[in-house]
Formats: sequence, C-alpha cells, structure tokens
Amino acid sequence: MNELVSEPTTQRAQLLRVLAPLAGRLVGLADVPDPVFAEQLVGAGAAVEPADGAGPTVVGSPIAGTVVKAHPHAFIVQHESGCAVLVHVGIDTVELDGEGFERHVEQGAEVAAGAPVVTFDPTAVRGRGLSAVTPVVVLDSAPDSIPDLRTGHDVAAGDPLYAWPA
Amino acid sequence: MASAQEIVSGLGGADNIVEVEGCITRLRTEVRDPSLVDERALRASGAHGVVMAGTIVQVVVGPEADTLADDVQDLL
Repeated sequence: MNELVSEPTTQRAQLLRVLAPLAGRLVGLADVPDPVFAEQLVGAGAAVEPADGAGPTVVGSPIAGTVVKAHPHAFIVQHESGCAVLVHVGIDTVELDGEGFERHVEQGAEVAAGAPVVTFDPTAVRGRGLSAVTPVVVLDSAPDSIPDLRTGHDVAAGDPLYAWPA
Repeated sequence: MASAQEIVSGLGGADNIVEVEGCITRLRTEVRDPSLVDERALRASGAHGVVMAGTIVQVVVGPEADTLADDVQDLL
C-alpha cells in the first residue's frame, strides 16, 4: 500500500531549496556592486534588487534552519545539512550601523523558511547613496555551482530563488 | 581557516594595521602602507580572496570573520 509514497525523492532530498527573502528583480551576483559578491568569493548565489520606491520591506529566511549570525544588515541561516545561506541586505550597509534596520530574531534562533528576520527600507538605503541589492549566497559553495540559475525576472518574497545541490 | 597571526603578517605586520573589523564573511581592514600587504600569503593562509582599494583591504575569510577579527585585534 506504500506504492503511492515511493516517489523518486533521492535527488530532491539532496537539493537545498533557497527562497527569495524579499520581492524584487532577480539578478546575478556579477551585477552586484561589491567585488566580494560579484566574484563569488564567499560562494555562489543570486541577488534580489527591490523595486524602485519600495517601502519598508520584510526580509525573510531563505531556508529553514538556525540563525547562526544575526546582524541588522546581514544574517546567516544554517540548514540541518550544514549548508549555510548568507543574506546581505544592501551593499556596504554595515556603514549604517543598524540605522533603519529592525532585526526580528536573535542569533541562535530556529527559523522556518520565510520567517521574518529583518525589516528595512530600500528607498532609505538608496537615499544614503548605497545599493539595496540583496545577495543570497550559499556560503563556501564553488563559483557558478548553481545549476540552471535564471535571472532577470521579478520574484515575490518566498518564491523559489534557486536550488543548490547540497 | 586562516590564523590571526597569518592575517597580521599578510597585512604587513601589526604596525601596518590601522583598523580591523569583522563583517560577516570578511575582514575590513585599513592599512598604512598597502604595498606591504602580501595577497599571495593571505590566500595561501586560507583566505578566499583579497580585495584592495587604496589603503582599505578586505580579506574574505568566511563566516568566522567576526571571531577572527577579534583574534587579530588581540594581536595589535
């Protein structure tokens, strides 16, 4: 009677499904104005550029896991497989020292995929002369290791961003 | 992972380091003399990458950056 559940899950189980932490245009890391991300020095991934005029925006966790780093402008969530995904909210936003960023979880918290982690205002970030583009990176993954990465289209928060072969 | 001592020597020694700050995956440092920075040594010690712009040197070390920055600070 278990035939119905014997679907071929082997391959799916090995994929880390990374969700869009926020809405915007999906862009490649090469288009991020920071060489560390653009050259994939911390790993492969993609980035989300919030729409012009976007108001206060909730940034959710891209995966389920443990928040192993929680700064106002950036956080890392580690999946139970050990893979960790970095979400860096805007570029050089460390300079804002948390101003305009509200953090919703503490370091060490367990979060579901999509759970709110940070709220920020992309328009305010741009008003300070910084980019609001938000890289979402699988830490320590090899450059260009995301198969079939498509960019250039708009995503909603929680939409699939990419899958990474964990 | 790079050791704090390797980072300090790769950056041209403690006297060459004006400031070091950990930022998630990278050390953001300011040095007095960029020509003393040994990119090759920093990479050899385990850094994923080194990005230099004038006297600002970013050493990409991975998620241990914050801890490593504290360790480097202790050597200055």
